[in-house]
Amino acid sequence: MKVIKVDPEKCTQCHTCDLWCGVEIGSTAKELNDAIHEKPQPLPRVHVEGNNFPLHCRHCEVAPCIDACPNGTMRRDPQTGLVYVYEPTCIACWMCVMVCPFGIIAPSASFHTAVKCDRCRNMEYPICVDVCPTGALVLEEREEGATWYGYAPKRSF
Amino acid sequence: MDFIQRKTADRAVELFLNEAAEKEIPLVWDRYEGSLPQCGFCETGLNCRDCLQGPCISHPFKDQNKVGICGKDKDILGVHSFVRLVVQGVMGYLDQLADFAKGVEAGEGSPKRKQEAAKILNDIQGMWGGGDTDVMKKFPKALIEGWKATGVYPDGIGNALFKVSQKLDGGVGNVEETLLWAFKGALMGCAAQMLQGRLKASVFGDTAPTNVEVNLGVLQKEFPNILFYGHFSPLLKRKIAESAKGKKIGFTGVCTDPFVPPYSFAPVTNYGSQEIPLMTGAVDLIVAGDQCVNPSLTELAKTWKVEIISTEGLNRGSLDALAQEILEKAQEAFKARGEVPRNIPDAKESGFMGFSVKDIDVNKILKAMSDEKIKGIAILAGCNNVKLTQDQEIVSLARELLKKDVFCISEGCASVSLAKFSLLNPKQREVSCGKGLSALLASLGKNVPAVIDLGSCENSGVTDFLLSLSNAGKKHLKELPIVACFPEANRTKAVARAAWTVAMGVPTYFCPFLPVTGSQKTMDALGGYCEEKFGARLHVVTQKMEYKEKVDLLMKSLKRI
Repeated sequence: MKVIKVDPEKCTQCHTCDLWCGVEIGSTAKELNDAIHEKPQPLPRVHVEGNNFPLHCRHCEVAPCIDACPNGTMRRDPQTGLVYVYEPTCIACWMCVMVCPFGIIAPSASFHTAVKCDRCRNMEYPICVDVCPTGALVLEEREEGATWYGYAPKRSF
Repeated sequence: MDFIQRKTADRAVELFLNEAAEKEIPLVWDRYEGSLPQCGFCETGLNCRDCLQGPCISHPFKDQNKVGICGKDKDILGVHSFVRLVVQGVMGYLDQLADFAKGVEAGEGSPKRKQEAAKILNDIQGMWGGGDTDVMKKFPKALIEGWKATGVYPDGIGNALFKVSQKLDGGVGNVEETLLWAFKGALMGCAAQMLQGRLKASVFGDTAPTNVEVNLGVLQKEFPNILFYGHFSPLLKRKIAESAKGKKIGFTGVCTDPFVPPYSFAPVTNYGSQEIPLMTGAVDLIVAGDQCVNPSLTELAKTWKVEIISTEGLNRGSLDALAQEILEKAQEAFKARGEVPRNIPDAKESGFMGFSVKDIDVNKILKAMSDEKIKGIAILAGCNNVKLTQDQEIVSLARELLKKDVFCISEGCASVSLAKFSLLNPKQREVSCGKGLSALLASLGKNVPAVIDLGSCENSGVTDFLLSLSNAGKKHLKELPIVACFPEANRTKAVARAAWTVAMGVPTYFCPFLPVTGSQKTMDALGGYCEEKFGARLHVVTQKMEYKEKVDLLMKSLKRI
């Protein structure tokens, strides 16, 4: 499974990733100049925070958001292992928002759904990795069972 | 981010692209590709570097980061981006004028019409004071009254330009007011351009329409080539040409004024492909001014062992000595570069350039307009922009407009683009024009091409043409079917030019990019508010569209729908 790896040494907090994420994934227009004026405001799935670190969904192997979701809206793609929100059934209960250990999932009042990064699962390449000018974001193969990405070692429920 | 687009429509330039790729010589298109994706905040004008607490952005998709550290919100950021470009553009015009005027004042020129030159020099001094220069009086009274009422009348460099530049540094002006300041600055640039054109005419005499050859084929194989790049004092140009009298030396230019009577310097190419002449190996010396010259030339010149002489050094010395030095260096370089192969493509087009308003009977144009023989007048201006296929946009626009019986005038680098595609060749006139337009052009004179070039951006041919049109027709410019288009705009000077064209009441289309699109308020102000104040809008066209759609937009503007 391929995930986005962040190199904080290379990140300059230029916000290019969250800008283009908002355009490509968040907006309906898909053009920067039109997306800017869109209402409701498009929501980027990646957040660049204070310490040079763009926050993406880690697609945890044991994902608390999937466990917490009461109606199966939070799902895992069986082929790629990527975690995504199936928006039509989201009831905006924000359970996933509460349990996410990384604070990735955004409760969107205007869209009435939980919004989170799905690593551009329908695209060939994640847009943030594509646009990052310093190469701080790269797509990397993740070993199965590796724990540096997850919140807990593998266990069975 | 891949860059998939044809690089240029110019065959002569295309010949060298393969060679550049094989030898791994980076050209402008490669550098553009390397810079992708470009910063979206800068692209939409939502950034600011005006102080040292920043840089700041206004994030369009987040609830925090909405305003800069000093409190500039996205609308102020957008309008400040516009002001910044206009100020820099206007400075360009003032720099050209100041440099030239200083030379004339020092007695370098020995003007042809001495009294007129002295009067204009006096007028230039007047720009420092109240700005009531003689050139400003050429504008129709109603227009000036309107400008004074709005507060955009350019009342002196101090009042107009310096104040505008300080809008960027702080203050509490809102979007509309700040925008008007930008227009005030732009009109200062307009005055400077008019003064420069007039000073040039008084020093060297009037420019007559001249048959000029363009494109890479104008370079000489057998004797030295000196290329003039960018803008520098026409006095120096004349000195160089004069001291080469009797010697076989080819003088050509890139992005420079091709006319310094009695000399003319054939344009080798235009902005987008300004690096290509070096690749022919036939360039022996480059004399470079400041504006419109790509810094990449220095690296590329090393590859072809070409020396570049800057005319804008700190201690320039006398023009005579510099001219002599340039000539000697060129001759030496020609001998020393003997073993460098000269690969000059057989690409040459001829066209008539350098018309002025005296050569055109505006009454005939007005009559054709009222008889509906022609649909209106389109002004084509601007250089090349690497974001678009070089020359393609402007040439296809012009061809389509001509077919639809729109009278086209052009200036500056736009003329070189059009000349390369034989739209300035009178022989090709019949082929490219619609019936009504063809008849009008034929009645204007034998050597009138399909598109009329009104001189480079160093003189105010287009402004003078518009003014005489307004005077002869006894109508405001905003009532006449005129539209301006910058299809491949690139320089800050083009932004200033677009701004003053709008202030005169001519709707203007600006493509492909202007960093104001992030602010809806600024866009609205450039549209509706300008319409209300000046009777014309500045349309910023950032969407990719077919040239036919653009023509439809222009035609709609002509009808003032």
